[in-house]
Amino acid sequence: MNSPNIAVCSSERHIDLLPTRHRRNGGAEDERAARMEIGIAEIGAMVGGLIRQGCPLPVVLTTLCQLFDSSVKGFLSSVLLLDRTGVRVRNAAGPGLPASYVKQLEGRQVRWIEASSGAAIYAETPTIVLDPAGDVPEGAAEAAPAAPAGLRQHAVSPILSLTGEPLGIFAVYQRDSDRDVMRCHCALISKFTQVASAAIERMQKDEALRRSTDLLERTEQLSSTCCFSWRVETDEIGWSKALCQLFELDPAEGPVTLELIADRLHSDDLPSFQEMIERARSGVSDLEFEHRIRLRDHSVRYLRVVAHRVRDSDSRLEYIGVVQDVTQRRHTEDALAKLRAELAQAARVTSLGVLTAAMAHEVSQPLAGIVTNASTCRRMLAVDPPDVEGARETARRTIRDAERASEVIKRLRALFCKKGATSESLDLNEVTREVVALSLSELERNNVVVRTELAEKLPRIQGDRVQLQQVMLNLFLNASDAMRSVDDRPRQVVIRTARDEGNHVRLSVRDTGVGLQPECVDRLFDAFYTTKSSGMGIGLSVSRSIIESHQGRIWATPNDGPGATFAFSIPCTPMEVTGSLGDARNFGSARPSAAVNAGERSVRRLRP
Amino acid sequence: MIVECPLVSIVDDDESVRESLPDLLREFGYSARAFSSAEEFLASDCVGETRCLILDIAMPGMTGPDLQQELTARRQMIPIVFITGQTEDTIRPRSLERGAVECLSKPFSDAALLEALDAAFRERGAI
Repeated sequence: MNSPNIAVCSSERHIDLLPTRHRRNGGAEDERAARMEIGIAEIGAMVGGLIRQGCPLPVVLTTLCQLFDSSVKGFLSSVLLLDRTGVRVRNAAGPGLPASYVKQLEGRQVRWIEASSGAAIYAETPTIVLDPAGDVPEGAAEAAPAAPAGLRQHAVSPILSLTGEPLGIFAVYQRDSDRDVMRCHCALISKFTQVASAAIERMQKDEALRRSTDLLERTEQLSSTCCFSWRVETDEIGWSKALCQLFELDPAEGPVTLELIADRLHSDDLPSFQEMIERARSGVSDLEFEHRIRLRDHSVRYLRVVAHRVRDSDSRLEYIGVVQDVTQRRHTEDALAKLRAELAQAARVTSLGVLTAAMAHEVSQPLAGIVTNASTCRRMLAVDPPDVEGARETARRTIRDAERASEVIKRLRALFCKKGATSESLDLNEVTREVVALSLSELERNNVVVRTELAEKLPRIQGDRVQLQQVMLNLFLNASDAMRSVDDRPRQVVIRTARDEGNHVRLSVRDTGVGLQPECVDRLFDAFYTTKSSGMGIGLSVSRSIIESHQGRIWATPNDGPGATFAFSIPCTPMEVTGSLGDARNFGSARPSAAVNAGERSVRRLRP
Repeated sequence: MIVECPLVSIVDDDESVRESLPDLLREFGYSARAFSSAEEFLASDCVGETRCLILDIAMPGMTGPDLQQELTARRQMIPIVFITGQTEDTIRPRSLERGAVECLSKPFSDAALLEALDAAFRERGAI
């Protein structure tokens, strides 16, 4: 459809369009316009006042129209506010025009075109008729006059932003009854257009700022995050409203200062806070730390701070950052850690039951030796003449067996005493031998033949001895359990250590048991997953969390033949140095001197 | 007159026991031989000579009860004194039920051992 549009010229162009008859009387009009100068300044101030009071834009524009209508006799004005894209009338204000007409204008499409007369706005319907019709594009003649009854359009002036973007249209109508009234001076229309432009632009900027602030606040709320800026030189701190709320600070009471922040901090975190300030002053590019604040009700919040260094326009050091309230996450993590520890403890207790018997067996062996040797000794000394040489030998054996018993107990204590994770330099082979020694009798009781193949010259690892022993113990006992129902083939466990790719060492436990169901492999390490009738299903889950805390991984694979292989791999101590060997002598627990050599078919119990 | 000391054999995978028990048995007046496994004992020429067997219950490979069964199958009626490091309450009654003379928990006193041996030889005498 051909749009019956009429061009709207710019205010400059408007001058040229004015009929010459009007120009003849220009002198008087100019005089009148000059008299209006003060009025215009006042209008500007008045509109500015309305904006500052927070009046909505339509109210401001309506007031502007009223001011025009009352200043210029015989003319009525309207302001058509365009939407963001500048193609549609978003809002129309025309207090002097019939309300039905004004309403009709809203939502109408407007297009900018390059008309012969210069920049112009094309309005589809209703047609804004420029009167007098100077440069009317072809076809426009068919356009129905859009002006309300009794009025005709006199001038249409585009309201442009400073950058030339279309913001709206300032349209002036002349009353038919006042046709003889002198034309409205174009300078006046231009002034009002400028005031309208300034008002719209200012209010749109305010609106954009408000939306941006609003968005920031909502985002802060959604992500439990607050924003801040900090000029390091002057200690000027910009805090978001949410951050003030978080710190229970009233921005009205004065600017936020480092002292004010420090005042809220948990006293334990003050040194690290001061240290962070020092680091920031030295100009590090990124800051990241966590600290606690104490609120008025004495509750504690955990805050995570991340800040990035920027330079402001004067190239002064400034940090822009976010503060996140991680209290909830912290509580969850703490609860999770506690739960894990409890699970680990439960797993310990479970294996404790199984092991108690094994341990009693382990200790009773040297005790039997002690009693027998001591009895023999006494008898040798009781005969006449006493067998001193025999007595000396049995006494020596008594002492040796007692030492052996005490070593077993020491190992026991190390395995079951409740203590937090510690990290020390460890020899995986040595740790393996200890656990093999401790669990051997239990494995043998289940007729399991244990073979160890420990790689020579393994690099040392850094880790918690007791935790790793727990994992191994769990794997050994699992292997033993998996073979409980096996009668048609040897029940064999092969415990192997080896260097692994990527500077890791690996321990694998291969059994000839019932094997793994392929569909179960993924769930094996989940908590409370178990294939055993008696078992809580926490052993492997705890094992996994232990191995992962050692930056390693644990996995299970079905064997080519019967059974399965469980293995874990953990990184070696970086830059292994000979100095760490010193630690190796302070392990405290017994080290086997004989036994468990690679390839040995069956492992004998340890000798001191 | 040469008095031949009756042979008491010991089968235990624990070296402490194998080392210490023979001396004590000799002090008691027996001759003694120690074996580290049931298989070793069965392969030796001592089976027929053994008048009493001090036998560990839990051993890798053939266990104490396994050996007991094997001997019964071979009609070698040797009185057996079990010794064990295990603590379960059921072990002793079960062993006695299966025909053992005694079941001693490690560690055991020389008096308890002597008493068990006396009982074993009384039993043997009765056979």
